[in-house]
Amino acid sequence: MWIELGHFSAILALVLAVIQTGTAFVGGTLDRPVWVRVSRQAALVGSGFLTLAMLGLQISFLTHDFSVQYVAGHASLDLPFFYLATALWGGHEGSLLLWGWLLSVFGTIAVFSYWRSQSASIPWVLVVFGCLVISFLCLVLFLSSPFDRLIPPPMDGRDLNPLLQDPGMVFHPPFLYMGYVGFAVPYAFAISALIRGRLDDQWIRATRRWSLFAWAMLTVGIVFGANWAYYELGWGGYWAWDPVENASFMPWLTATAFLHSVMVQERSGQFRIWNLMLIITTFALSLLGTFLVRSGVLSSVHAFANDPGRGVYILGFMSVLLLVSFGLLTLRGDALKSENRLDGVVSREVAFLFNNLFFMVAMLTVLLGTLYPLAVETFSNAKVTVGAPYYNKVFLPIMFGILLLMGIGAVIPWRRASAQRMIKLFRLPLIIGFLALPLSWYWGVDHPYGIGALFLILFVITSHGGEIIRSVRARVRKDRLSPLTAFVRLISRNRRRYGGFVVHAGLLVMVAGFIGSGLFQEEQNLVMKPGETVRIGAWTLTLDKIHTVARENWEATEAVMHAQGRGEILTLRPQKRVYNEHSMPTTEASIHTTIREDLYVILGDAVGDGWHIRVFRNPLVVWVWIGALIMGLGVLIAFFEKRIVVARKTVREAS
Amino acid sequence: MSTTRKRLTLWGSLLLVGTALGLLVFSSFNDALVYFYTPTEVIAQSTELTDSRIRIGGMVQEGSLRREEGTLRIHFEVTDGESRLPVFYEGMTPDLFREGQGVVVEGAWKPGTVFTADTILAKHSEDYIPVEMSEEGIAKSRESILNSLQ
Repeated sequence: MWIELGHFSAILALVLAVIQTGTAFVGGTLDRPVWVRVSRQAALVGSGFLTLAMLGLQISFLTHDFSVQYVAGHASLDLPFFYLATALWGGHEGSLLLWGWLLSVFGTIAVFSYWRSQSASIPWVLVVFGCLVISFLCLVLFLSSPFDRLIPPPMDGRDLNPLLQDPGMVFHPPFLYMGYVGFAVPYAFAISALIRGRLDDQWIRATRRWSLFAWAMLTVGIVFGANWAYYELGWGGYWAWDPVENASFMPWLTATAFLHSVMVQERSGQFRIWNLMLIITTFALSLLGTFLVRSGVLSSVHAFANDPGRGVYILGFMSVLLLVSFGLLTLRGDALKSENRLDGVVSREVAFLFNNLFFMVAMLTVLLGTLYPLAVETFSNAKVTVGAPYYNKVFLPIMFGILLLMGIGAVIPWRRASAQRMIKLFRLPLIIGFLALPLSWYWGVDHPYGIGALFLILFVITSHGGEIIRSVRARVRKDRLSPLTAFVRLISRNRRRYGGFVVHAGLLVMVAGFIGSGLFQEEQNLVMKPGETVRIGAWTLTLDKIHTVARENWEATEAVMHAQGRGEILTLRPQKRVYNEHSMPTTEASIHTTIREDLYVILGDAVGDGWHIRVFRNPLVVWVWIGALIMGLGVLIAFFEKRIVVARKTVREAS
Repeated sequence: MSTTRKRLTLWGSLLLVGTALGLLVFSSFNDALVYFYTPTEVIAQSTELTDSRIRIGGMVQEGSLRREEGTLRIHFEVTDGESRLPVFYEGMTPDLFREGQGVVVEGAWKPGTVFTADTILAKHSEDYIPVEMSEEGIAKSRESILNSLQ
């Protein structure tokens, strides 16, 4: 049967991972290329077997094999095909298998693509990946197996949780995991560099694309999650500082710090230990993210009530990983002494240093809020939660600090910036920034944070735009090109730099969305009878009728409403759904999106002869999603940088 | 500027900004902690809890749920089997909020008045239970983590 084939393949993959680790270790320590070659083949065949394991489970889903416990728990006969095909990662057993599979496949791809160019690192990369795959497969096979049988099989499965029957949830886990697992590649190369004592920036340059890829996937994964929460959870927002959201946000913060600080090392050889620490922390937080979500220790939507044996295993795994990684770092500490040069207190290096400080504080803020309740529960009898106000209070100032540094750091010269240069660079951005005052008056923005954000957005746009204009002008003068050609050449020859500019622009768009939806949300909470109206913002909503609708696996009470405003008439249909296999109803918000605002309506319970209706006006929410797309585009541009950045030698000679 | 001066300026400013951020974090942190109690615990520590923001967890007492006619204002009792605590709430209730189901209510505690909740959390689905809802789950996970540390 398919599931046994899958199970058996997974066991073989575990055996192969052990062989991979052993042979690579021998090959690496004794310098025997043949052993390394054997290890590489083991990695390749291992990924093949894990792919078979995934297929075995996938086919069991597609054939409705309810004698497989995992399938019975996460699918049913009338689950639509699309969700049937993606239910594999609807629970923790399957998600962990997906993680392990990605890990194995990424490891193999990395080993094959760097086989020649990084041949000295390869044995240790194989060892690191081997160990990680072993750890994951042990967890999958012995503590949370998706391959277990359920005898006798039920007639029908328990169905996929209705909340997960949504496109957002289908794409959220794989993207997030590609992000998490993607960081394993730079992590493995960093560990390899530590073991070999090759402590220059070779590991950073080699894995630059993997870091970018992982960061982009993580960004997209997080935004998919937020998007899903917005459409599916029906509370009017997209980010609740839920521990599980935090778990994915922490590695994002350190990874962002990493992407910036590696530039300093590439440029001047500083921040060596720091960059190693950042990548180790990022990968460790990726694991923590997976485990927090999948171990059931957290109280949240994602937390599955389950067996705590996993928790212990995971805690052990994390401890070993951190001990080994930081142990190596300490051992090599002496050799890692940075080329310690400080040319000027006002320089891009220093701006990046502060950028890193802000990102680290942000990460620690989230870490504290996420783990403190767990610590309290573990060591005392009390139970505690940390509310969203904590994060909002801390994060707005941090975000403002980061935006200010973004405007400065992207254009300020390396090494040293004279006062004259600073004035020349930032006079105009500051002046334009202060246009925030009349503009906010004009738009009716009276919240200080709103005005502050507007100031920073204008400041950053002008500083980045000014830089582009100056560079284009220089090219026009020097090479006698038309401005357009000069612009295209400028971008295409510095894809990393200007890709970064585009990512920054995407973030600005997102920030506008955060501020608009966070500070200026309006809400109406009321009981309506058919024919009654409610006003919110420029809109007048009328409840037309309440009726029942049904689809293949659910039935819903639906309110039909129409909204009038801004010269438009639209129909909104919020629902309360009950899925056949589940007793619990789910709320389906009805959302009308415009560039200016979202109209978001939720249907509640019957109250007397009326119905409970909740209406939100969420300004600028769509900017959050658009901003994420722009960020993705920026990464894509940066990804195709051909030239591997400035040669450090020339810089050193110049100094 | 000499290198030492530069270094001092740099580390000084880093320290200053770091400290400011740290203060921001910790000052916001203490205000935002919301402790969780059972009705029995709340009644026992009533005066100490005055004005603090708390979460109370238990079951919605069968037969206690009452709605003010035609409004969003509801009254019910939360019970842990030992004591009952009357609660008032105005607004939309979660999909799974009903009598006999687990519930967590959050609000500021004022002794001698009906507890006014501004947030209600209900058991989310048959598949996942917010951990604080199942005493058993808590006891288990606490034990397991403690065991692993010994």
